[in-house]
Amino acid sequence: MNVRSFFSLDMSRTPVYAESMKILVCIKQVGDEGEINRFDLHALEEALSLKEQLAPQLLEPIAVDVVTVGPPEWSKIIRRAFGLGADGGYHIVTEDSGYISSFVTATRLAAVAKKIPYDLVLTGIMSTDMMAGQTGPMLAKIVGLPCATAVIKTSLPANNNVINLIEVERELENGFRDCLIIRLPALLTIQAGINTPRYPRLSNMLAAGQKEIKTLKEADLFPEPIKAREVFLGMEDPKKTRSGRVLKGSLSDKAEQLFTWLKEKDLI
Amino acid sequence: MKQILVIAEIWEGQIRPVTWELVAAARKIKNSPALKQLSPTINIIVPADDPAPLAEKIAKQTGIDVIGLQIPELETYISEIYIYCLEQLMRANPQTGDSYENVFMSKNKKSTCKAPSKKMNPSHILIAHTSQGQDFAPGLALSLNAASIPGVNGIRYDEEGVIYSRPGFNNTRNLMIRPAANRPVVLTLIPGSFKPDSEKEKKPGQVEIRKISFAPAAYGKKRIQHRRTVKKNSENQALKKAKVIVAAGRGLKEKENLGSVFKLAQCFPAAAVGASRPLVDMGWLEHQHQVGITGATVAPKLYLACGISGSSQHLAGIKEAEFVVSINKNPEAPIFRHSDICITADVIEFIETFIKK
Repeated sequence: MNVRSFFSLDMSRTPVYAESMKILVCIKQVGDEGEINRFDLHALEEALSLKEQLAPQLLEPIAVDVVTVGPPEWSKIIRRAFGLGADGGYHIVTEDSGYISSFVTATRLAAVAKKIPYDLVLTGIMSTDMMAGQTGPMLAKIVGLPCATAVIKTSLPANNNVINLIEVERELENGFRDCLIIRLPALLTIQAGINTPRYPRLSNMLAAGQKEIKTLKEADLFPEPIKAREVFLGMEDPKKTRSGRVLKGSLSDKAEQLFTWLKEKDLI
Repeated sequence: MKQILVIAEIWEGQIRPVTWELVAAARKIKNSPALKQLSPTINIIVPADDPAPLAEKIAKQTGIDVIGLQIPELETYISEIYIYCLEQLMRANPQTGDSYENVFMSKNKKSTCKAPSKKMNPSHILIAHTSQGQDFAPGLALSLNAASIPGVNGIRYDEEGVIYSRPGFNNTRNLMIRPAANRPVVLTLIPGSFKPDSEKEKKPGQVEIRKISFAPAAYGKKRIQHRRTVKKNSENQALKKAKVIVAAGRGLKEKENLGSVFKLAQCFPAAAVGASRPLVDMGWLEHQHQVGITGATVAPKLYLACGISGSSQHLAGIKEAEFVVSINKNPEAPIFRHSDICITADVIEFIETFIKK
């Protein structure tokens, strides 16, 4: 590690003793079948593998909690996260549906992320449905954490049982990456490709049924409803940018037509 | 008064071309019927440790007044420095308590210098939807209590104002959104969605430099330290040079099916094999095969997409291809909207049938 750059960071924060380290992973459901957003699965995997990697060096294991904001049926994804190995789960139960502004979601998540002193908060880089990629950086701003998005590599260097920074690589365009050192507590949004999410373990799944989900009602947390800062007007099909000639007929007919077209264009 | 601000995208001391697209989009917003009567102004902000040369260049190119935001601590892009200093710049009120230093005015003496350092009151803030823009725009929007619309790919008008479209649901749908009434809005614009103005302006804009140091009261020194920028893989010259690219996507289902794609590539002279991001993430192919924003941007005569659904980052990487042919089982696959020839079929079955011919 570059010593100079290490010390130019502000390390005045009380060191986090690894024995009490806590990671929060924000997850959401995508679709109607109880699937966890695929980027959030990468975030959860990263938290669980950090926990496993550091276990031999720590007095007490890292605790990994998950939190979701959504309708009552989303408790399913918390159970699923338990099955994967999450220790605790929070569910902020909401009644609204359809388009939900990232600002509203981040504000709701902050109710948990602010209350409990997490050392590391992870989210997926975006959800595959809303594709906004804003919940993480907005949550960081509300809670007051430094934030890096599109993280493709992490490592938690533990020195003398003290963990107070994380090393990350964030993905830029054209194969470039920025290597950063970030003071904890911090928030990272996790990009796909960082890891391969595990499958649920039977032992975890059996225990998952027994675990308690801490349920918080939105109305109790926020007596005044949080107002979205955008108005959703509706959806439409994306524009075509090319002609889009659809080949018809049997498989063989289509192959024949493609071959003829490629010949015409002198491509084959 | 309405003020439209464009944040220039600076990376490693260079102006990224997406900046010109942001300017074109700013003009489009300015000309909307609902805004036109309010005669909004456009300004471009250039954050850098030494913004003057970049700011001069942008002012000359666009004819728009530029504010060079000089941040001494900004050796390279860091999110918390950007968010803090941009917020200070936009909130600062020179009449009541200046929180920045005015360093010097433009060397373009010919243009009349207006009174510098007017209080900013942005109604629209335009940022590139890039790894950098996506990193700081949400936090900036939050600190300005602004609406935030990420990934804008289209701008249109109605009598009430401007409507922004952005992709959702794996790029199969566009969401139409507008900011809530009387809220400023932070927009990040997908590169390639807006055509830069081709004409160079005759009269350069004015340049003003404002210096803001990174000194957050809440937490003192910086919490994010940039160590270095690395390049993960050398560029794949094979993809850049290839006349034909046969590219594989998740529709292949099994890694073993990659063989069919390589066989198909052999049917063409000067062909290379490309891949969508998920395949590289799963380790089926090396990163140098990856096509898209985070991989290679390609311009072959023919791009043959096999089982690729078409994420926006992938589509942006193949825009310059002369022809795109797509094979996908799902007739709703987004890539079909950006293809010359669409073949709805099981990828492997189709390839095997085609090769036999």
